[in-house]
Amino acid sequence: MVGKPLKSLGYAEVTKLMSELKVPVLPRHRNLSSPLGPEGRINKLRQTVTALVKYERIELFHNRADEARGYVERLVSDARRYGDQNKEMMEMASYWLLEKQLVHKLFKVICPRFHDTFDGPFTTAYNAPRKYPSETERKQYFKRVVLELKGHPFPPLLPQASYQGKYLIHNVLLDAAMKDYYQEKKLNAMQNKKEEVTESVDEEKELDNQIKE
Amino acid sequence: MLRILPKNSNYFVNSQFLFLRHSSSAPAAATNEKNKEIANYADKKRIKKGSKKIPNDFRFKYQDFLPSPTARYRNSLLEKLMRKDMLERRSQVHIPEFYVGSILKVTISDPHSQGKTNSFVGICTQREYTGLCTRITLRNVIDHQGIDVAYDIYDPLIQKIEVLKLEKRLDDRMLYLRDALPEYSTVDVNMEPELLAEGAPVPVNETIVKMKPLPWMQKWERKELKGIENLDQYLNLWRKQQREKQATPWEKYDLMKEYRRTIPEEQQNKIFSEIFDRINKINEEHKIKAKAARRTITKPQNIR
Repeated sequence: MVGKPLKSLGYAEVTKLMSELKVPVLPRHRNLSSPLGPEGRINKLRQTVTALVKYERIELFHNRADEARGYVERLVSDARRYGDQNKEMMEMASYWLLEKQLVHKLFKVICPRFHDTFDGPFTTAYNAPRKYPSETERKQYFKRVVLELKGHPFPPLLPQASYQGKYLIHNVLLDAAMKDYYQEKKLNAMQNKKEEVTESVDEEKELDNQIKE
Repeated sequence: MLRILPKNSNYFVNSQFLFLRHSSSAPAAATNEKNKEIANYADKKRIKKGSKKIPNDFRFKYQDFLPSPTARYRNSLLEKLMRKDMLERRSQVHIPEFYVGSILKVTISDPHSQGKTNSFVGICTQREYTGLCTRITLRNVIDHQGIDVAYDIYDPLIQKIEVLKLEKRLDDRMLYLRDALPEYSTVDVNMEPELLAEGAPVPVNETIVKMKPLPWMQKWERKELKGIENLDQYLNLWRKQQREKQATPWEKYDLMKEYRRTIPEEQQNKIFSEIFDRINKINEEHKIKAKAARRTITKPQNIR
């Protein structure tokens, strides 16, 4: 191999240290189409990142969501690593978050939310249902995604494990119906027994009467 | 008995005093240790099993051990075999720490005349590729003629690599020296090595070069270089306009682009902890050899 260098073996840049992201990263970026070109792409992503930090749960097309997810992950992990005293980090945060109060939110609310040892993904992405294509909106039939920051205050999107079987509404109704059914069955059985007893008593009386006669 | 916790105290640490009523002496030292343990917990968990505490400058010194970040060409087996070969080569030839801008002397055995060697002294202007293919370019002006020589540093032909002056420059690539005035890339061929104290930080040479008039090999004005002084002097209006038009000021904020160009810290630690012991051993061996060589030179024999 020596003497015939592969161009692919370009060296890694090491001046800035960063931690490994726990979300899948594509080998190449997506071109989000924009008349401004690469600058327009970054501006689109800035808006998405700002929205995610602001609302903590957003629904959008898969393409842009997956692209923006990496940027949010890196922003949070870098903010945790360097803190708010680092000048470069503050510059980066104020570039990506378009409103100034969100920079405070990033360092004071979102970073302390995670334990020091937690390295995992700071966001979750769920597949959302698509719109059914109509003739007018045929272009809208793309994958949709719900992106959220972990530790948000909203109720969970997926049903919790404890509610999975027993407490689902149809299971509760079925249980109640079953209970009623068996109770009714018991009552019926009891009534039948009583009737049998009374019938037998009547028969005896009749027999007695016949004997007397 | 009621006891109110002081506001600043860490409840979880101090709570053992409240609940251990019968313990005659609650050791104060133990609590301190526990405090320390809690503080170090994050660090301990970050450093995974089998990895060692690696010095911070290790990634600059041994950058060629890191694989290429291009995802398409990553291959764990190839990388591992390469590292093994590199260590074996390093045990034969001492490859010292150097950076772009340092002055090197490379001695190479001449393939065209048996048993003879060639050597070249120059400024390291760029590093290319990684792993076994790592290549450096040395530049010097000899007899008013600028010369660039490229060496693969893991080439088996190489006999010796010496660092005559260890320093950094303002830029990571200094190919613009080709278009600069010749005085900036001239180095004395018979230069003696300047020694640095061990553990001292690598000095940064902040000389700013002056360029020759046009034509140039590349459009240096578009590369945001720190080490050039008089760029604007030679540019015409059209070229200045183009520089502004082609500028990409948003690129330094592109976090994922940055990420795709590096190897993340966890992977770096994994690689460096693998080679850490071996490379320290190799360096020590080379140091001992160099000392022995020096001793033999300093004792001249008496002539009768």
